[in-house]
Amino acid sequence: MEILTNIINLFGLETKLFIAQVVNFIVLLCILKIFLYEPIAKTLQERKNKIRQGLDDAENAKKALADAENQKTAVLKEAKIDAGKILENTKISCESLKRKSAEDAKKQAEEILANAQKQAENEFEKAGQKIGNMSVDLSEEIVTKILSEIFTQEDKTKILARAVEKIANGGYGKATN
Amino acid sequence: MTLAPSVLVDIGGFHVTNTFVTTIIVDLIIVVLVLAFRASLSLYPKGIQNILEAVYEYFYDASKEVSGKADIIFPWVTTIFLFVVISNLLGQFPGFETIRFFSSAAGQDGAALCRTPTSDLNVTLALAVISIFMCHFYSVKYTGIKGYIGRFISFKMFPIFMFVGLLEFIGEFTKVISLSCRLFGNLFAGETVMGTVSSMFAFGLPLPFMMLELMVAVIQAVVFAMLTMSFMSIMIEKH
Repeated sequence: MEILTNIINLFGLETKLFIAQVVNFIVLLCILKIFLYEPIAKTLQERKNKIRQGLDDAENAKKALADAENQKTAVLKEAKIDAGKILENTKISCESLKRKSAEDAKKQAEEILANAQKQAENEFEKAGQKIGNMSVDLSEEIVTKILSEIFTQEDKTKILARAVEKIANGGYGKATN
Repeated sequence: MTLAPSVLVDIGGFHVTNTFVTTIIVDLIIVVLVLAFRASLSLYPKGIQNILEAVYEYFYDASKEVSGKADIIFPWVTTIFLFVVISNLLGQFPGFETIRFFSSAAGQDGAALCRTPTSDLNVTLALAVISIFMCHFYSVKYTGIKGYIGRFISFKMFPIFMFVGLLEFIGEFTKVISLSCRLFGNLFAGETVMGTVSSMFAFGLPLPFMMLELMVAVIQAVVFAMLTMSFMSIMIEKH
């Protein structure tokens, strides 16, 4: 017991000092817990959240960029296909229009030709008719001149009437045949 | 330099020793650091906030690795570390122990006004007792009274586990002694060596010893804090 007391005295161990140190530590712990640990924990959590938010945003932006890139590629691809189709359709339309134009032109030319032919035929027929009329008049005149010298007025009239009738029915050639 | 701290003033039977005065100074330094931290607290750390956040994160992560109950362990461990490391480093300041205080309680030659708190067994013993007491408190809280008693008294494989329990029981006392005496011994020895070397040759020669003491100051603080962490995590886990 004496040795223990000597040791205690040697090291200056005192109950009051010991308790004071314990109280001091507990007070210090409380101060640090309230004013240091909790604010640090809160700040670290906030920072963590902010970093996580930033990373999430970056990830989302990356995804959005990739989506936009994919969309762009898809749109370009679609546009290319559409452009190809339009070009193809235009070519087809153009070809068809060309063919139609050629056919129309051909048809028109044929029509013009047919009309011209028809007109020529009409003209020919008219000319023929005109020539026929002229030959009737001429014949009538010739016969009138000849007959006025040979036949009487009554004979002339009868012959003339018969000749006119014959000519009107197709001419002398036909009648003789 | 004596093993016991020097009494400076006697206030109603309470001996205000030089280590106690230094303890108050250490407390003030910590409070000033905390106030400085609070003043500059922001999401983008700089200065003192960096240091305190680094200490916080180091001990929090270590507590998390060692035990699942980091939130309970780490305030004790970090407070012990901050208190011990600042106490130890304060003793390395030049002229720290050279300011003398004269009073009737200090004696005719007076006494050093300041002395490293951790070179006083009262301080280290108080820290060790708090540390081990809290280990037992949390052990009862988280493992239950049955689990707690089961650590020390077991009738399985009688008498082997009974003997193991007895060793565990003695071990709890030796923990207090080892924790307190290790810190006290290292710091007291360091101060004695520094005092001796400085008295032999004041310039140049103390420099390597000072560097050694700076290392010891940090290492001993980390050792004390880590041992507390490990004791607490062992006691909190079910046996």
